[in-house]
Amino acid sequence: MEKVITAVGATVLIPVFVLGYIVLGEKLIERLSGRLQGFVRPYFWTAPAIIFAGAIMVVPTILTAINSFQSRDLSKWVGFANYKYFFTFPDTLISLRNSIYWLIFFTFFAVGFGLLLAILLDRVRYENWAKIAIFLPYPISAVAASIIWKFMFDYKPAGAVQTGTLNAVLGTVGIQPIAWLVNSTTNNPALIFIGIWTQVGFAMVIISASLKGISPELLEAARIDGANEFAVIRTIVTPLLWPTVTVVGTTMIIYALKQFDIVYVLTSGAYDTSTIANQMFLQLTSSGHLGRAAAVGVVLFLAIVPLLIINVRRFQQQEEMR
Amino acid sequence: MDLFAGRRFLRSLTVGLTTAVLLVSCGGSSSTSSGSSTDLTVWVAWGGQELKAFKDVVKPFESKNGITVHITTTRSGDLQEADNVAAGTSLPDVGVVPSQDKVKDWATKGIMKPMETYMSGDALNAYLKNTYESLTKPLNGDTDTKIFVVGGKHYSAWVKTQLKGMFWYNPKVFTQGSNPPKTLDDLLAIQPPAGTKLFCQGLSSGDASGWPAVDMIDNIVMKQSGETVYNNWIDGKQKWSSPEIKSAYQTLGKLLSNNNTYGGSNNVLSTAFSEAQRPLFTTPPGCMFLEQATFEENFIIQDNASAKAGTDYDAFAHPSINSQYDGNVNWFGDSMVVFNDTPAVRKFMEYVTSADAQQIWVNDGGTLAALKTVTNYPDPILKKAAQAIAGAKHLLVTAGDFMPADMQHAFRASMLDYVKDPSKLDSILAHLDQVQSAAYSS
Repeated sequence: MEKVITAVGATVLIPVFVLGYIVLGEKLIERLSGRLQGFVRPYFWTAPAIIFAGAIMVVPTILTAINSFQSRDLSKWVGFANYKYFFTFPDTLISLRNSIYWLIFFTFFAVGFGLLLAILLDRVRYENWAKIAIFLPYPISAVAASIIWKFMFDYKPAGAVQTGTLNAVLGTVGIQPIAWLVNSTTNNPALIFIGIWTQVGFAMVIISASLKGISPELLEAARIDGANEFAVIRTIVTPLLWPTVTVVGTTMIIYALKQFDIVYVLTSGAYDTSTIANQMFLQLTSSGHLGRAAAVGVVLFLAIVPLLIINVRRFQQQEEMR
Repeated sequence: MDLFAGRRFLRSLTVGLTTAVLLVSCGGSSSTSSGSSTDLTVWVAWGGQELKAFKDVVKPFESKNGITVHITTTRSGDLQEADNVAAGTSLPDVGVVPSQDKVKDWATKGIMKPMETYMSGDALNAYLKNTYESLTKPLNGDTDTKIFVVGGKHYSAWVKTQLKGMFWYNPKVFTQGSNPPKTLDDLLAIQPPAGTKLFCQGLSSGDASGWPAVDMIDNIVMKQSGETVYNNWIDGKQKWSSPEIKSAYQTLGKLLSNNNTYGGSNNVLSTAFSEAQRPLFTTPPGCMFLEQATFEENFIIQDNASAKAGTDYDAFAHPSINSQYDGNVNWFGDSMVVFNDTPAVRKFMEYVTSADAQQIWVNDGGTLAALKTVTNYPDPILKKAAQAIAGAKHLLVTAGDFMPADMQHAFRASMLDYVKDPSKLDSILAHLDQVQSAAYSS
């Protein structure tokens, strides 16, 4: 019976409560004097959002930071032991290394290809079709994309029928199959490649939108002044695109740092492929060490904060430019 | 209260909502049954074929006693139960066993009820007499949480068992099945036909990858170095770099070497455990043997529904390594734990621990009973497995499941690393020592 009440409560009472808050609250505010109304109303309207954000983001962040100084079941204080573990244990160091790989290679190629494609496709007639094709993987969830690539990377021993697309292709030109996800030289690049495959469309679309915003007269003027296409791209297009590229870049860095799903689906972090986020999940679930999981979370959080600040600043600058 | 309590809340909310929706759609039958003599709730970890078998077991009980059994399948029942205990919310009348770290606590707090309170003296004596001794009697006569015995009382009612470490083969390829190799060396000395390898294996299993090799090395340790080393190893008192464990890794290395396995190490690591058996049945065969527990039969039948045990596929129990330790056999089992002692629960527990109930389980295939009095098995392989369990001096639990969580994970990962590159054995074992010293203390 209590479960029925929970179900009814969740589906009916919450909307009723929200509606009540709006209607009754506004009635109360209307009774206040004009000046007071102006003061109270913004707080009243933003209060639910602030309370929600506080309850589900700010408070847990603070508690996580506290938990990171506590033991496995959060029953004891352990000082910096969890951080010491994170920065000295071989497993976590490997995940730190991999996250740095993701940070560098994923971001560089996702943004680089995005920029290149945006500029090149701007100059062809089939631009829209090409863009659709490149953007297509972006809406696919990371798990589904990983499963697609699981088939692509599938390995069967030499001599057997190769069910994996890549190894089947290698087979047609007489190359031995490669265990893409097991081999330490190919597994991290393979995983990072999937990330690039899903995100490059996003980078391209955003950069392309910004590219369309550059006035054609400016480019014409440069060309009339005798600048060749490379000079136009180097001295006019690129600097004007730079703020957008930075925003896309920081978004990609954040994606790289929080990378979890592709690695989890394809290797679960085996064979030295785990990332910081995988390490956090592992500590939380398999190991059940809440203190260490919190410490990993805090490290990840601290790594991302500066990027968030850069991103917000950039947005503000762009706003001011308009 | 904290980040994780929030997660739990969300999960219980989801569970609550789903259950509520289910209940509403079922016409609103009531679920909780405190003190009921007509209803009881059971949580099981079984799905698919195993769940069907359980329903077959329950059916005659329901019609005979007029008791309705409400079955819920939950994949991580032990976590859910721990959450409910922490939150003080209701537990099922009958559930799955908790994780090892909770056993003592729940027993002393009375959260779990011992068989001694909910079973009549006669029924309990019959259960203790007829169930495989190692499942009810701790190894050294001590209390032992590994089989859920605390303070001499039994908290886990065993209903099914499985034998680990059987070697599966295709009788058309390996024709000496009636006279299987006596020792592991005999097995390794078998010359496979040209183009066929001695062994197959598949270690891929999501974030539990490596477990089939963990099962293999469990068998090696207990049969090579004995039950004392084995139990000390589980309890963190045996170093991984010790000669006993190191030589177990080296023996495993022969069974899973690049040369001895179909497709070599890369294939062993890339193959899903549920597909490892396939090369046994190809023409020409890819391999001769696959080591896996009794449930392997389910995968073989999944690939080929008409395959018959004994003629199309067969298996023999793990060969001897050190004859001194032949009595050590690796098993695992399914059991039930009582959280609410009600009249309906009493009848139910008496029933599931009876030979009548377990015979139904056995008839549905793919499992062994927990009672040694159940001897009528539907196929020759299960019969052999039951004999191996009955003949065991010590039935030993699976080490990989009873170590602390960090250790378990590192153990599985070490299997992948070792199979990938056996030359790194020393550094792998040193790393496991490092994990061990942290995992058992914190």
